[in-house]
Amino acid sequence: MSTLRDQISDVIEKEPVALFMKGTPEMVMCGNSYRALNALHAVGAPITTVDILPDPRIRQELSAISGWPTIPQVFVKGELIGGADITEELLESGDLQRRVDEAFGRERAQDVKVVALTVD
Amino acid sequence: MEAEAIRALLEQAFPHAAELDVEDRTGTGDHFQVTVASAEFDGVSLLDQHRKVNAALAAPLADGSIHELRIRTRTKGTE
Repeated sequence: MSTLRDQISDVIEKEPVALFMKGTPEMVMCGNSYRALNALHAVGAPITTVDILPDPRIRQELSAISGWPTIPQVFVKGELIGGADITEELLESGDLQRRVDEAFGRERAQDVKVVALTVD
Repeated sequence: MEAEAIRALLEQAFPHAAELDVEDRTGTGDHFQVTVASAEFDGVSLLDQHRKVNAALAAPLADGSIHELRIRTRTKGTE
């Protein structure tokens, strides 16, 4: 089985848009995760979410990789966009829409997918 | 954690900030909204602006004294 760090890196690198959040789209456990999720929905992004709550090591490893201390964290095509504040600011400015359109084209799948990491 | 303690850390990190504000959003000393406007942010990406603020508050973020941090940054020249 691959290490936790490898699993997290895989999600970041391979998923079109990765959202590391508290909870799942069905049951969001934090207002800021909700804000980031909503912003991504608003621009019609495909979204892959990872719940960081099941084990504290997920958040530790994620922050070690990204250099970003807080949750949520949004990645587009492997690149860190930021947390909820930046994602909302980019939504308001139109930059988030532009970025997602440029990355995936206007005719794109808008699936929401949940990835569960294997810890130990 | 007192809002004043957060402010002191930010003042240390951004001594020339044009605007610096810390709001305890919930009154419980762990949910903060911080606003920093500084010429230091001119030409710096939004991501890196937030990285600088996170770095200034790295200690209280790491030890859990800050449970939630909302950040608003501005370059000095803009509203």
